[in-house]
Amino acid sequence: MGAFILRRTGVMILTALCLTFVVFFLTNLFPNLEKLAKTQGNARMTDEEVVSWLDSNGYGGPMILRYGEWLGVVPGWTREDEETGEITGRCIDFGMDPADAPTRCGLLQGDLGFSTVSDDEVGNIIGGRLQLTGILMFWAFALMVPAALLVGVLAGMREGSRLDRSLSTFSIASTATPEYVSGVIFIVFLASSTTGLSPMLVELGWLDSGTLFLGSARSAMENITFWNFFLPVVTIALYGMGYIARMTRASMAEVMTAQYIRTARLKGVNFRSIVMKHALRNALIAPFTVIMLQFPWLLTGVVIVETLFNYNGFGWTMVQAASNNDIELLLACSIVAVFVVLVTQLISDIGYVFLNPRIRIA
Amino acid sequence: MDLLTWTGQFGSFLNPLILASVVIFLAGFFTNFVLTVAGVRPGELEIQGDGTMAINSTPADYALATMKYAVLLFVLCCIGYIIGGLVLPTMEQKGIFGAVGQRFLPVWIALIVTFALSITFKRRLGLYGKLFDSLIGMIGFGLVMFWVFSAIFASLVAPFDALDQISSMRNEVPGTPTPEGEAFSHYLFGGDRLGRDVFSRMVLGSTYVLQIAPLATLFAFMVGITLGLPAGYIGGKLDTVLTFVANLVLAFPVILLFYLLVTPEIVQAGVPQYMSMVLFLFPIIFLVVLFNSRYHTQPTIRNVLVGIAAVVGFWLYFSLISDRANLDSAVRFWPESVDLFNIPGNLLIVFVSVVFVNSPTVFRIVRGITLDVKTRDYVAAAQTRGEGPWYIMLWEILPNARGPLIVDFCLRIGYTTILLGTLGFFGLGLSPESPDWGSTINEGRRLLTVYPHPALPPALALMSLVLGLNLLADGLREESLKD
Amino acid sequence: MKDFTHVQAETGLATHPVAEMYAQEHKAGKLDRREFLVRSTALGLSAAAAYSLIGATPAAADGHRAVPAAGGTLRIQQEVRALKDPRTYDWSQMANITRGFVEYLIQYNEDGSFEGVLLDSWEANEDATVYTLNLRQGVMWNNGDAFTAEDVAANFIGWCDSTVEGNSMSTRMGGLVDPDTGVAREGAIEVVDDHTVRVTYPAPDITLIPGIADYPSAVQHRDLIGTNPADHGVGTGAYEITNYEVGVSATLTRKADHEYWGETYLDEIVFVDLGQDPAAWFAGAESDEFDMTYETVGEFVDLFAAIGWTQSEVTTAATVVIRPNQNNAPYDDVRVRQAIAMAVDNQVCLDLGINGQGITAQNHHVCPIHPEYADVPALAFDPDGARALLEESGNADFEFELISIDDDYRKNTTDAVGAQLRDAGFNVTRTIIPGSTFWNDWANYPFSSTNWNHRELGVQVLNLAYRSGVPWNESGFANEEFDTLLDQANGIQDADARREIMAQIETIMVNEGVTIQPYWRSLFRHYKAGIVNADMHPKFEINVHYLGFEA
Repeated sequence: MGAFILRRTGVMILTALCLTFVVFFLTNLFPNLEKLAKTQGNARMTDEEVVSWLDSNGYGGPMILRYGEWLGVVPGWTREDEETGEITGRCIDFGMDPADAPTRCGLLQGDLGFSTVSDDEVGNIIGGRLQLTGILMFWAFALMVPAALLVGVLAGMREGSRLDRSLSTFSIASTATPEYVSGVIFIVFLASSTTGLSPMLVELGWLDSGTLFLGSARSAMENITFWNFFLPVVTIALYGMGYIARMTRASMAEVMTAQYIRTARLKGVNFRSIVMKHALRNALIAPFTVIMLQFPWLLTGVVIVETLFNYNGFGWTMVQAASNNDIELLLACSIVAVFVVLVTQLISDIGYVFLNPRIRIA
Repeated sequence: MDLLTWTGQFGSFLNPLILASVVIFLAGFFTNFVLTVAGVRPGELEIQGDGTMAINSTPADYALATMKYAVLLFVLCCIGYIIGGLVLPTMEQKGIFGAVGQRFLPVWIALIVTFALSITFKRRLGLYGKLFDSLIGMIGFGLVMFWVFSAIFASLVAPFDALDQISSMRNEVPGTPTPEGEAFSHYLFGGDRLGRDVFSRMVLGSTYVLQIAPLATLFAFMVGITLGLPAGYIGGKLDTVLTFVANLVLAFPVILLFYLLVTPEIVQAGVPQYMSMVLFLFPIIFLVVLFNSRYHTQPTIRNVLVGIAAVVGFWLYFSLISDRANLDSAVRFWPESVDLFNIPGNLLIVFVSVVFVNSPTVFRIVRGITLDVKTRDYVAAAQTRGEGPWYIMLWEILPNARGPLIVDFCLRIGYTTILLGTLGFFGLGLSPESPDWGSTINEGRRLLTVYPHPALPPALALMSLVLGLNLLADGLREESLKD
Repeated sequence: MKDFTHVQAETGLATHPVAEMYAQEHKAGKLDRREFLVRSTALGLSAAAAYSLIGATPAAADGHRAVPAAGGTLRIQQEVRALKDPRTYDWSQMANITRGFVEYLIQYNEDGSFEGVLLDSWEANEDATVYTLNLRQGVMWNNGDAFTAEDVAANFIGWCDSTVEGNSMSTRMGGLVDPDTGVAREGAIEVVDDHTVRVTYPAPDITLIPGIADYPSAVQHRDLIGTNPADHGVGTGAYEITNYEVGVSATLTRKADHEYWGETYLDEIVFVDLGQDPAAWFAGAESDEFDMTYETVGEFVDLFAAIGWTQSEVTTAATVVIRPNQNNAPYDDVRVRQAIAMAVDNQVCLDLGINGQGITAQNHHVCPIHPEYADVPALAFDPDGARALLEESGNADFEFELISIDDDYRKNTTDAVGAQLRDAGFNVTRTIIPGSTFWNDWANYPFSSTNWNHRELGVQVLNLAYRSGVPWNESGFANEEFDTLLDQANGIQDADARREIMAQIETIMVNEGVTIQPYWRSLFRHYKAGIVNADMHPKFEINVHYLGFEA
């Protein structure tokens, strides 16, 4: 087991290195740097000026070395201004004595760099945003997982029954409704002051004014209420739910045809206790891995929902960073995203081994 | 002219009926739910003492029957609206549903013909024919074919062009009459914020979606199969490397990847074009190897087939990747005179990105199936016969893996459609004026709470197509498992 | 309440010879009241004195600001951008936030008059070459230093420094900048005493006062010129930044240990950034996420009114230009530019672009509300002629790529232009760039649309955007005759005399097909009932010191 985890961790680190390098490579292509120079410096720079700006701000030199700097394995660049003798460098903060500055400052030193658009340390920005997204994810999972398992188990325990048919159709419909479709429909029917449910409720006098749910989750960043947070949560949960439910159903249906269940039925154990005592535990192994693997999928959903509902979390930050070519912020975002993906994969693998008595890895 | 009603003249008696059907359905549903919770089970077949069979009806059965008839009534009413649209003379009498039904006339005819023929000959049509044994599969197939035919007949169905603007029709509600002298008398689903016909854009959008999604999926399958077969069959270092690369791509958050690939600067640097050069090579490799392995004992046929595949393939390949219009383009080594066609820049980029994202998943599926199938006896038999590895992979393993692959193909088209919509939603997809559903939803969502009508039709269209593909896949899976 | 309009009425100039001339023009019906106010207050007259010159009651000028109740938190929907050296500000939003602590010498009011903030009064000599600026007494920096003439002089020198990258104040300083060195002219700025500064121009110039009322002219502490005010927080205003998250929100809180020279009411102001999509703003309003918009645009004007918010409207010289950049082929060909202009009906742009919320313009970027406006018509709308002209230039098959930002009215207007060009037989592709990246290269796109804010005088925008080689010259227009005429116009105070030159300038603009400038916008803002002094400002200014809730 130890060797397995060790090997997995090794592969994980290698994957993370490759992926960050790809992001680094793409964001540091010359046209991107040129754009950066023109935004940060002056929109009318000539080509030579762009090159010299890039040089003096540490974007010159081979890409692999700069990637090393960003990782923190290569000493950060320093440069002495020929006229003033002022020393600038990657690791020298504004107003810092160059002598006091550390030689390396990168990911390994815990320094994620500087966001050019927000004019702030990346570390300061990303922490709070991650927390916001964490809250959103937590609630989405809290809604999605129990609902999906319930639907899946109910459908799978009597395969082919009408209950199974209708619940399966429901799960298929939910996987066929991406977030941007369901979000749009929810907003129209529940969060608009002119159409859908809200005007009706106002007319009936059950609602003072405005809308039943809020079409913007901005206020949820400070103060979560049912009305401002339900729609984004349910939008994320709905799309992911169908898939987990179908997996659960398949797994449950398989378990229900297993020999030991048949034996139990023939012995006359009542159906309820067969499901609760015998089938459930074994049926939930496969969905567990699927649930863990849903994390990366949820990331796309989170980006869509945060954009649609104006919730300034991690997904929103990633979109902003990508569209502004905010290189170091984007790199930090991808580190986080890749980390989430790989860790959930690892947990899913380990969990599978632990839960499934038939698999033993030496 | 006045605003059209939704249901027209037939509405006066169909509306109460349809309302009744909904109420009955809900009542049946709740009764059924309550009965199920209370432990009442639907009746089961019982063999009675005298040898006859009887269904022991319970209240739950009646509730279910009510629901069934309610659904039937609902469907009949819908057909009623469409018939109303076809037979009633004026737009006011047809109503919006009727008029929409009438616009879709070519699609209805094509659908009826398809279903009639397929059901008649279903026993001779293999897996496709078996589809018509499953209600779910038929519904799914019907939904998919509805959009396929809409895409084919789009120019007949859509009364306006996707970019036709009538400035007085901005944000007008569904059923608003257009000014005199326009191509059609009404904007059936209203106007969008630039005064374009929402209905026409929805119909024309289907052509975009139904061209790109299946084609991109097909390419992804070519790539996935070409790499997945050897990875599973040969294994070893090759497998390790390919699996690692596939996992690498899979670990990339899709949305980040798109943002990185589709931004103007990356496009300017030519990254998507280089990627397309690599990815589009796979179908040619696939075909050449396919023919080569089959006919390598018959050199004449082999040479002809491989030659044709290579020449046509490379011609298409170079036409596709070399950009005729753009002189500064990173890839332009093909004289204009032989360049068959030109794909608009952002279309190519979207296409490549979608293929790139889908290929690793296909790769994993193919590899998994190959690992399973290669232990079978017929593979061992082929090995003993001395067949080459590529022959075994392509002509022994692949045909036996087709069931799961076809099912996954259907699902993946749906997923690709969603992905295209996601791209459109972030404004990364096709040109901003394009009527494809993702872009239209994105455009319409801005004024959603005030004017919901421009965003809802493409949203529902996308949902119904993906739903259709999922149901179709489900039906196919069920029927193929029955073998 | 210490109302500074009132103070100025006591101490400001009683009269000025040129102002009297304007007063006569006004009485003769040549100038409307608004134009008269702009120009006479620009010469140093207090608003009250200006009103009295034309026989209106000074009461109209006095006390135009209500007194709100003390206390409260106000939330304003507005973009929160990264701050920088105020001289290089390119967004009024930045200034609206920092206005809470770095203030201005003069402010431009909604009614078109100028009013002293850190200046007590100012006067110009007869030929508008020497300006004397009298500072307000008793103003303190929040670091404990006194605000003196040294501060003002240091700021002027900073503003004149055209060697600073992106310093747009140096263009506003005009003749004060020595063209050879690129910095302030020797002796142009003198400190007369602790509270008096004298500014001397080599040639008559009338744009100083509007220039130092503009949003990049925030007054910084004398030792902190060229720094980002967010880094040090030193200013004369009553507030301090307590939270600043770019793209999300910013909070101004009243600074505890600082005694502000004027009155202020709110305890806290929160700027809420909901992005650039007006639909998101509306969704935010429906969800009660803010109390007041920065600006309401397009169809949202009616929508905000429909949900019961108070509407404030101001007619301005704000506009959108859809301009070819002449540094790119084929736009260097005057026939192509004319063809583009002839193919577009400005009325259609007005209707489709901004719901008709404004008046049509004539492609020369001088507005009827500008004092020196001359009525020069645009090229006649003639799609067939346009097509013929395009064919003549040999560019009939050229693919015109029309770029715009991804946002409501600018996109709609550009779409309307694109559609009309297509109708006239042009090959047009539309490109839409998200707001976050659009501005990175806005001045260099070959054919794109840009919005321009209101300016007080007609010559100002011409100086900023159409003079050869100036940083904001997005059309790549370089015309010697135009530059010479503009120099002349800059020195003529008399509106009628200047109008003659302006007629020539406008004719050049139109005939050269420099730009399509289809309409003049009315600006709107909405706020919840009970908010005071939140009226829309022609230049989007928000002065947080005045805002408050109804007493």
